[in-house]
Formats: sequence, C-alpha cells, structure tokens
Amino acid sequence: MKKNPEDPTLQLPASAARLAYPLIVGGIVMLAAGVLIGAVTSVGLRFALGSYLTAFMYCLTICLGATFFVIIQHLCRAGWSVTIRRLAELFMSAVPWLAILFLPILASLFLGNGTLYNWDSPEWIEANHREWATNSKGAFLTDWFFAVRACIYLGIWTVLATYFFKTSRRQDETAEIRLTEQMQAVSGPAVILFALSLTFAAFDWIMSLEPAWFSTMFGVYIFAGGILSAICAITVFVYLLQKGGALRQEVTVEHYHDFGKLIFGFITFWTYIAFSQFLLIWYANIPEETFWFGHRWAHGWQFVSLALVFFHWLLPFLGLLSRHVRRRPTLMFFWASYILVMHFVDIYWLIMPTVNPGNALGGALGIATTLLCTFGMIGLSVGAVLRNSQNAPLLPARDPRLHESLAFHNL
Amino acid sequence: MSAENAKHIHGYMAEFTSVDALLAACRRVRDAGYTKTDAYTPFPVHGIDEALGIKPTALPWIALGGGLTGTITAISMQIWMNGINYPYIISGKPYISLPAFIPVTFELTILLASFGAFFGMLILNKLPRFSNPLFTNSRFDGATDDKFFLYIAADDPRFKADGVKRLLTDAGGGAIDAVMDDESSDKLPRAFVTIAGVLAMLSIVPLLIAARMRVTNSSSPRFHIFYDMDFSPAKDAQKSTTLFADGRAMRTDVPGTVIHSGSEFGPDYYSGIDVDALAKIDPARAERLVRFNGQLPQDGEPTGNPPVTPPADEPVTPPADEPVTPPADEPVTPPADEPVTPPADEPVTPPADEPVTPPADEPVTPPADEPVTPPADEPVTPPADEPVAATAETPAAPAVVDTTPWLTENPLEVTRATLEKGQTQFNIYCAVCHGQNGRGRGLVNERAQKIQATSWVPPSSMHQPQLYDDKYPDGKLFSTISNGIRKMPGYSSQIKAADRWAIVAYVRALQLSQNASEEDVPLSARDAIVPAP
Amino acid sequence: MAIAVTNSLDNTVERPGDRAPLVLGNTTYHNITESVCRIAETPPSKLWFFGFFIASSLATMFGLLIAYLLYMGVGVWGNRSPVFWGWPIVNFVFWVGIGHAGTLISAILFLFRQEWRTSINRAAEAMTIFAVVCAGTFPGIHVGRAWLAFWLAPYPSLNLWMWPQFRSPLLWDVFAVSTYGTVSLLFWYMGMIPDLATFRDRSKNKWRRMAYGILSLGWCGSSRHWMRYEKAYALLAALAAPLVLSVHTIVSFDFAVSQVPGWHTTIFPPYFVAGAIFSGFAMVLTLMIPARSIFKLEHLITIRHLDNMCKIILATGTIVGLAYGTEFFIAWYGQVPAEQFAFINRAFGPYWWAYWTMVTCNVVSPQLFWFKRLRNDPKLIFIITIFVNIGMWFERFVIVVTSLSRDYLPSAWKYFSPTWVDWGMLVGSFGLFFTLFLLFCRFMPVINMAETKATLSHQLRHANEHASH
Repeated sequence: MKKNPEDPTLQLPASAARLAYPLIVGGIVMLAAGVLIGAVTSVGLRFALGSYLTAFMYCLTICLGATFFVIIQHLCRAGWSVTIRRLAELFMSAVPWLAILFLPILASLFLGNGTLYNWDSPEWIEANHREWATNSKGAFLTDWFFAVRACIYLGIWTVLATYFFKTSRRQDETAEIRLTEQMQAVSGPAVILFALSLTFAAFDWIMSLEPAWFSTMFGVYIFAGGILSAICAITVFVYLLQKGGALRQEVTVEHYHDFGKLIFGFITFWTYIAFSQFLLIWYANIPEETFWFGHRWAHGWQFVSLALVFFHWLLPFLGLLSRHVRRRPTLMFFWASYILVMHFVDIYWLIMPTVNPGNALGGALGIATTLLCTFGMIGLSVGAVLRNSQNAPLLPARDPRLHESLAFHNL
Repeated sequence: MSAENAKHIHGYMAEFTSVDALLAACRRVRDAGYTKTDAYTPFPVHGIDEALGIKPTALPWIALGGGLTGTITAISMQIWMNGINYPYIISGKPYISLPAFIPVTFELTILLASFGAFFGMLILNKLPRFSNPLFTNSRFDGATDDKFFLYIAADDPRFKADGVKRLLTDAGGGAIDAVMDDESSDKLPRAFVTIAGVLAMLSIVPLLIAARMRVTNSSSPRFHIFYDMDFSPAKDAQKSTTLFADGRAMRTDVPGTVIHSGSEFGPDYYSGIDVDALAKIDPARAERLVRFNGQLPQDGEPTGNPPVTPPADEPVTPPADEPVTPPADEPVTPPADEPVTPPADEPVTPPADEPVTPPADEPVTPPADEPVTPPADEPVTPPADEPVAATAETPAAPAVVDTTPWLTENPLEVTRATLEKGQTQFNIYCAVCHGQNGRGRGLVNERAQKIQATSWVPPSSMHQPQLYDDKYPDGKLFSTISNGIRKMPGYSSQIKAADRWAIVAYVRALQLSQNASEEDVPLSARDAIVPAP
Repeated sequence: MAIAVTNSLDNTVERPGDRAPLVLGNTTYHNITESVCRIAETPPSKLWFFGFFIASSLATMFGLLIAYLLYMGVGVWGNRSPVFWGWPIVNFVFWVGIGHAGTLISAILFLFRQEWRTSINRAAEAMTIFAVVCAGTFPGIHVGRAWLAFWLAPYPSLNLWMWPQFRSPLLWDVFAVSTYGTVSLLFWYMGMIPDLATFRDRSKNKWRRMAYGILSLGWCGSSRHWMRYEKAYALLAALAAPLVLSVHTIVSFDFAVSQVPGWHTTIFPPYFVAGAIFSGFAMVLTLMIPARSIFKLEHLITIRHLDNMCKIILATGTIVGLAYGTEFFIAWYGQVPAEQFAFINRAFGPYWWAYWTMVTCNVVSPQLFWFKRLRNDPKLIFIITIFVNIGMWFERFVIVVTSLSRDYLPSAWKYFSPTWVDWGMLVGSFGLFFTLFLLFCRFMPVINMAETKATLSHQLRHANEHASH
C-alpha cells in the first residue's frame, strides 16, 4: 500500500509536461490579441475588458473551487479523496498566477473612467445615482478602495493556496503526520476567510458591474458554480492523466463514482441557488432588482438564460442520474468537460449582458475577442498547472490516509 | 428425497457466529452449485450479495417511476387548477406561472418517489409476512441479535438432505436444523379479531355520517361555530341596518371632516349636475352640493383654478378662507350630492326586501332577494326614462320624473389621452363586470352565471339605447360611476374625479364603436375595415 | 468468538491514517442488543416517570389551550395589527427548524458516509417527527378556522367551487411540510423495522411479541431483503437530502417572496437551511446528552459523537453569522431606505434585546466549540446547546416580529406583546415534544442496533487487518 513519490506513474507524463511553456506563451499571446482586437476594432475596449473579466473569472472560480475542495478535505479529515487531492492542489497552485492576471482589470480602473465598471465613471453616477457622489456607497465604490479590497482577497487566496500546497509538498518529503494535523487545524479558520473573501469578491467584481443591483445570495451563487466546475476540472485532469499513463492504479472507478455523485450533487446545488435567487426576485417583482434579469431576457440574452436552465441543469441532471454513468470514466470525462463549457456560459451570462446588453454574442469580432481571451486565459492557467506539476508527484504519496483512499469502495 | 418429506421440510439452516465464517460458507455453498439459498443476518453484510450470487434489484426503477408520476401529476394538476379550471389573477402573475409551480412539483416528485422506494421494497420483499417457517425454531431468534444463518431451501434442484447437512457442517456451520412447517394454529387470537373488528366498524361511522350528510337535507339551521365569522355585522354598500337610528348602514363623514381633495373644481365637476340650474329647482339640494365642495359657483372666485386642467393626483387643501366644516347645527356632512336619503336612482324606502317598483331609468333586475327577472333585453315597464326615478327630496314618491339638470357635456377636453386614460381605468375597474366591450359580460358576471349565484344582479350593457347620451346624460353617468347603482358600489373613493370623467368619455366612445356605421369611420381608415364574413 | 474490541474511553484523539473507534468498551453484537433493548424491557425509572408527568401535563395544557383558542377565537393571541403572524408562526418556523437535524443526520451524513451517524440517527429521526408534529400544529391553528384547514388540500369541493392557489408560498409550505413529515416518518419507520424485529424476537410476553411482530412486518433478516432494504434506504436518503433542504427553503420563501423590508433578501433559502441544521443539531445534543447518561449508552454515543456534532454546530452557527452580516451589508449596499431602516431597527430599535440575544446565542456562543476541551465536556455542551435553542427561537422572533411591526406604514406601527396564551402554547409545545420523545425512548429502539452492529463489524475487520500486518 505504500507509494513512492518517485514512482514514474506518479509523475506528469512527458507529453503533458512538454506543453506547459507553449501553453503559457500561447496563452499570453492570445489574451493580448483578444484585448487588442477588441480595443482597436468596433467591438470596443469595454467589450474586450468584459471578455477578459469573463475569462478571468472562469479560470479563477475553478481554481478557487479547487482551493475550497482542498481545504474542506482537510477540515473533514476525508480519507477517500487523498489520491486525487494533489490534482486539486495543482489547480489551487495556479491561484497566485491568476492574482497577477487581475492587474489589467485594476489598471483599467485607474487609466480610464468607467471603461468596465459604471460606478467608476463620475458622469454615470451624476446621471443615474447622484446621491452616491456624497454618500457612503459612493465611497465604497471608488477605484482605490476597490483596488485595496481586491488586493486583500487576492492576498488571502494566495496565502491559503501557497500554504496548503507547500505543506502538502513538504509531507511528500518528510512524511510527517504532524503536517496533516497542522493543515487540519488551519483549515477551520481558512474556510471562514475563504467564504468571506469569495463573497465580497463576487460582490465587487461581478455584482458591482451593475452597481445598483444587489442580491445577498450572489456570493453563494459564484461559489456553487466554482466548486462544481473545480470537481469537473479535476475529473477531466485525472482522466487525461490516466490516458497518459499516470495514476492508473491509484484512481479507481470508485473515485469516478464519487466524482459523479459530487458533480450531480453540486449541479443540484447550483440549480437550487440559481432558482432561489431567480424566484425571489421574480416573485417580489421590485424594479430595483428585476431589471437585472430583464437585461438577461432581451436582445437574444433570453436564449442564453434558457440555455442555462436546460443545459446547465436539466441535461446533466438527467445524464448523471444513473449509477452506471457515474461508474464509467469515459462518460464521466464527457460530462465533466460538458459542464466546464456550461460553466463558461454561466459566467458569460453573469458578466456580458451588462457590458453588451444589445446582443448576446457581439458579432464576429466580439466572438473572436471572447474566444481569444477565454482560450488565452485557459491556456495560461493550464500551463501554470502543468508547470507546477512538473516537479511534484501527482498524489500526496506520504499522506497518512492514503491507504484509505487506495482501498476505498463505494457502498 | 421423498415427496412426503418435502412437504414438511422447507430446508436446512446452519448457524454461524461471525461474518467471515458466514461469508466463507456462502461462497462454498454457491460454488457447490446451490441457487435457492439465503443468509439471515442481524445487519447488512457487505459482500454477501456476491457470495450468494444475489442479483441487483429493480427498486431504483420503481422509485424513478414514482418520481416521474409525481412530477407529471403536480405540473398538470397545477396548470389545470390554476390555469384552466379556475383562472384567477394574483399578484400580477400569469395564470400558468411555472416558476411558482416548481416547489409543489418538487415536493410531489419526492413524495411519490419515496413511496416507490419504500412500498416497492416491501412488495419486492413480500413483506409483511407474519408467518414464516423459519420462526418455528427458537434458535432463529438470534438472527436479529448476534447470530448468522445460512439456509438451503428444499426446492433447490440439487437438494439432498444428507448432502446439504454434510456441506453445511463442512462449511463450519453449527447447529444444523431442518426448517419445518409452522404447526401452530394459523388462526388469529379471538381478542385481536374482536378489537380489530370493532375498530374497523367504528372507523366507518364518521365516513357514514359524512356520506349521509352529503345526500340528505336538514330542516334545522346549519351549525355555526363562530356565528359572527360566518355572519359578520359588517354591511355591504347600500344596505340597511338596525344598529343606527336612521337605519343606514353607510355612514356619512363625521362632522368636521376635512375633504382632502376636490375643492378646486366646481361642484358641477364633482357631482355631474349643473348646480346653477339645480339651484333654481331645488335650492336646498344645490346648497348642500355646493357646501360639500367648499365653494360657491356663482362667485367663481375662491380657487381661481380653471376646472379644465385637473392636476388630480395632487391632494389640495381647501383654501383657508372657505370654511369646509358645516355649521354646527348641521349634524352630518354629506359625502356626495345625495345628502341624507339614498341615491336618487335607488328605491328609497328601506328595508330593501320590500317589493319596490324597479327604478325606471334602466331596464334592470330587481334587488337580489326577489325572484330572478327577465334578462335585460326584454321590454320592461315602466318604459325607460319616462316616469323617472325619485328625486332626493321626495322620498315618499318613488315614481317622479328625474328633473335633475345633469351635465350634458363632459367637462374634460376629450382628447386621445383622455380616452386612453378612460380606457385604462375602464379596463381596471369596470371591465371585470361590464366586460371590456361593455356588453355586461365581464369575468365576474360569467363566473356568477356559471355558479348560478342567487344574489347576483347582471351588470348593464352599455349598448342599450337608454344609456346613450341623449337619454342618459354624461353627468348622470358620472354620478352613477361615483355613487353606484343597484348592486354596483360607488367608485368615488377609488377613482379620481378626472378619471371618472375620462371613463365617461370612454364609455361614449365605446358606445359609438359598437353602433357605428361605415360613414363614421374616417376615409383614410376605411380600408382597414374587414367586411364581416 | 473473538468479537470483542477493547478500547480506551478517549476516542476523540484523531491519529491521521487511523480511524478512531465509534463503538467503545468491550463490545459485542449481543452487547449492543442488550444495551438498547434493556431500555425498553426494564420498567422505567422514577426519573422517566417524573419527566413524563411534567411533559404530559404540559402537553395536556397545550391541548386545553388549543381548545380554548378554538372556542374563543384567535383574539386570545397577541397577534394584532400589524403583527398578524406573531408567535404561532415564530413557533412554527422554530419547530420546523428543529425537525431538520434528524433527516439531515440520516440522509446527508449517510450519503457522505459518516459512520458516526449510526448511533444518533434513530433518536434524531424520532425528534424530527415529533418536531414536525409540533410545527404542523401552529399553522393549523393559525388559519383561524382550524376545522376548515382541509380547504388547503386540492380536492374538488362542492362548496367552494375553487382550487387552492398554487402561486402562493403558503400553499407550497403545506405541501413541503406534509411531504417532509411523511417521508421522515417512512424513513424513520423503515430504519426501525430490523430493530423492531429484534424487539419481537426478545419478547417474552405474547402481546408484546404480537405488537412488535406486527410493527416489524415479519422481518427475518434475509440477505435478499437486506439488499433491497439497503437500496431503498439509500434511495430514501438520496430523496430526503434535497427534501430536507427544500423544506426550510420553502419556509424561507414564505418570507422572502414578499416585499416586507428585512424579509425580501435572496440569501434567505441557504441561510434558513443552515439555521435549521444548527438548531436541529443543538436539539439533538440537548436530548442525547441526558439520554446517554440516563440510559447508560456512553459506549455507543461516545464523546466523539458529541465532538462531531459540536463541530457541525460551530460550522452552521458561523454560516448563520455570516448570513446576518451579509444581510446587513447588502441592506446598506442596496441603498433602499426601507431595507436600511429595517436592519437598523432590528439591531437598535425597540426589539434590540431580541436581536442581541439572537446574535449572542447563535453566533458568539458556538464559537466556544473551537476548543476541543469544551467540545468534550458534556455538561458544557448541554448548556451551550440550550443557548443555541434559545437563540434560534429568537432568530425567528426577530425576523417575524421586527419586520412586521415596522412596515411601510408608520401609522400602523405597534409594539408586539404576547399574551399568556402565547406563552402557554410555546411551553405546551415543548411538553408535547418531550412527551412523544419519552414515549419513544420507552417503547422503541433508541439506537439503530443493526447499523451500529454493522459499524462494529467494520471496526472488527479493521482491527483484524491491522493485527495481520
């Protein structure tokens, strides 16, 4: 049952390792190209920044979901998940990279007025919410305070991600049980910090795109999508690694089965949160809230909204209902990839209607901008994950609970 | 094995004391080719399905079937009940509000799926089964405590008593016993039968009572737990009461009440009556009308506001120099043009259940408690408008000509905006009874007709000649909207005066629309008219 | 017959890589049967009779008060304009919340494979049923004419000529709570069937044997039966898990779909659910800590069980605290004056005492559970859980009463005062709850023997594996 960290099947397959730097470079090029195309063509800088934010939030929510996954495994002293925990940790290790990638958004606040966030424009505030110029809300939504808060959130996540990754890596070397206990002790406060920072980051970065709109549930909504797609990303990653020859002994169909159950559960959770938020606002029908859904029910956006209902919930819900599906790695790979696509639609639906209310796609150039930004960001993040995988074994080989995970069987 | 033996012996069971021993024995028995086997354990033992070769169950499909039944039942039930059979607008939501139907759908899905799982499990397990040959052996009581049993049934094709015994012994089983038929009486204890029977009979009694009450009539009055909840002392509009000395349920304003709005236009505007003309015929009534409006029309000085541009949504304080409070010797301030007596076009002598001549200005049905009258389009005596209703001042003489000098002109400027305003207001307040086309067939009426509500007075159609402006002046129509008529309550408290006048204008347009000839349509619009098929 | 494990009594120490035992002492399968059956087979103690006397007196008082209410009308309550929901609805939401822990422990912890649930799930499920009974009573009598409450059901009525209004959250509530009650009952009963069979097989008395025989439906422990039974149990768990979340969600919809300031906020569904779990676990502990010492079940309901439940209380209490904070923040951020007023008024208005009681009991007191020493002290846990119960009752009071008493129309503002009937009914509902629970302890298997034996069996195998290393 003992595993040796040096075992070649626990290393990143060479075919994948070779991709790391090309992906990073390609990602940067595509991101730059995407923003440039948007900025210089008729698409506009606002759209380009919106696409950038969409791509950024897409990757960030996945990595933060993975961070949460790691923390919660320590908090619950989970045994079943040890063999795949390192993969979550690798996604988590991309968080510091993403923290740097937020800088363009911050820069846009200081370089222009209201390029992306309406509250950043004095003219907009004067025209729409004159009282903010003098009251506390206006003081809250200023570019420097926004930047301070962003630094706090990014700082918290970077510290958490680095701590858990480093400690877990140290255990690979020393096999100290004490480290497990230490991480467990930290995980309690960590989860609270994480919840607070994620809630407020969601308010700041996405909700405040529409500065007058508010929903207390919003942070939970972002969290639900993030944890769901993080588990999907881990599933996809583990499947591809097994294709490449790694982890074939260690990750069994039982783990896929558990992923299936978790994905199914979190699809339901996401739906629950999304539906509750919609129902409460739709039912009470107060103008200061409903307009947000109104934007998402006009000019072609209604099809995106409906797509979320049918393809983010109904289709995968039915698809994953059966135990037989959840016990087939190939099918699980398919559904996990599918949900990763739908998660992008979800983030797109949250951000872009504010930036581009007129139509859902933004024309051929708009699509190009969005795709370039998205693939650039994904390439960059995946490259970062692969780069971090190169010198780390793909499973925490000396975790004291590893044997439980290896011997794990579903009921 | 002899046939006689098989009747008595159901099979053999062997006792084990640990899970591992049992599992090993199970595998051994399975490998020996026995299929009609079973194990009995105090808790679910994992791996025993495989060890005994038990196939998976179809239970999930039953639960799924239950769940789908729940989903479909709930959705169709809600759509049919709230969207089709009893459509009813609430909080501005569509009849078929799918988001609002989801919670109940979810609950019913879960409920029926759970029933499927639970009852499906019982049915597949053939439970309840109270008599089981296994229970004859008192040793078997240990199967729910700490003992494990392996059982090979006699109807197994490979069954041979000696062979089975030897196999079980070899597999490590202790205390190998034959499972015999249950020899004890299969009769239920008499006390049990008696109690169950009595309970069953008693439980039918309430049902029988309910069933009987469904089909029989009773001459005694219905039992009311809270009499005043079923019969509230609150009164409807235009009803009499014994509570007040004057017999009127509707109370006028308390002396000293300040009218919040309505003093800036002349009393004509608020009453629909030409007060100048009225002053010549009936000075007392004219004076009350005028005092109510807080200004004297002859002077024309008090507010200076022209009556044509009504900023009706602004509550206006009456000018300070005009005392609104009536003199102290006047006990009541009349709220409308009809001070103390009931409105002019109502039968004036309460109580209402006395037979009265129907008010003459419209073909009408009599008050509710009288037998139903012919529908509105049948000829009614007295003929419309000629022996007109009583004026307010002569309550004792019901059949007197209506001499009230109603305004014949709408004081508002009739513009497109006015008509649209009138249309909106009409569709909100009037159309529920009178129908959007004014033919008196609104939703409330349709419902009342459907359930044959006995106290229902059908609303008038706007399209009868008696209601055209030559017979029923604008002012009178305005007054009817304001003060109500027959079962229709007054709307002066709900609709602003300007909007009531807009409704009057719209009603005139509506009447025109339903009785127009081709010449009334402007030349430019005639092409749009599609001839009736 | 090496089926006994010997453990030291401190199983709260976690050695990573080694799972702490959940069944303590020199325990055998038979031992478990004995410990649990003894409670129902021996005559109850004086303490039980004393408790039952008090609880059933209070329950009787509850019944009499309901009769008084029906006779006099709802005016005997303190519900006055504008607070028409008042205490009955506060009590309703409180009891529904309590009723969440049972199914949560049974269903969600089952799905998460938390084996420690086995020795507490039965009592928690029973508690759920009894709490739902208490909860269901209040809206039933709050409708005014309680004898016409069947009008809520969608049946073809010859009197009304109409159907219930399915677009109303109050009707969703009817469906949610009744479905929840039914499914919880099924779940509880199904879990008891094997244990009732144990009771049957141990009965010496003919009548007793017959009664338990009927209740256990002729269960014989066949492997085929077990296989379907486990499948059904897993299915019910999978169905009950979203159900338990939906119930308090729908209760929260009652408030949150409205436009009343302080009620209309989108976090209500998850926040109500977290609060329900919080209060439910607190109530489980309040009941189990005395029960385990009175019935001598310390080796089955171990300190570790208490420790785990304390952690859940800490987690949910913190979530609830976070939700309070988020609400406050968004009330300010949203810049809606009525909303802002509602929250300021909650904390500093006439009901400030209720708000701060709530915050102290719900957010501050569970923070003590950060310390392991405090999590392992049953007496202290008992005290804190009582505080949590009080706090959660006050949470509902704060939500219902503060918002209603200060709505959009200042001329209608009024300070709500409960009457003696309100007080009596609150106390009486506790009487009903404890009466049912004491009866359950007396006649039903308080611990799921079959599952505990399965846990012991895993533990034994694990020990064997280690021994063979």
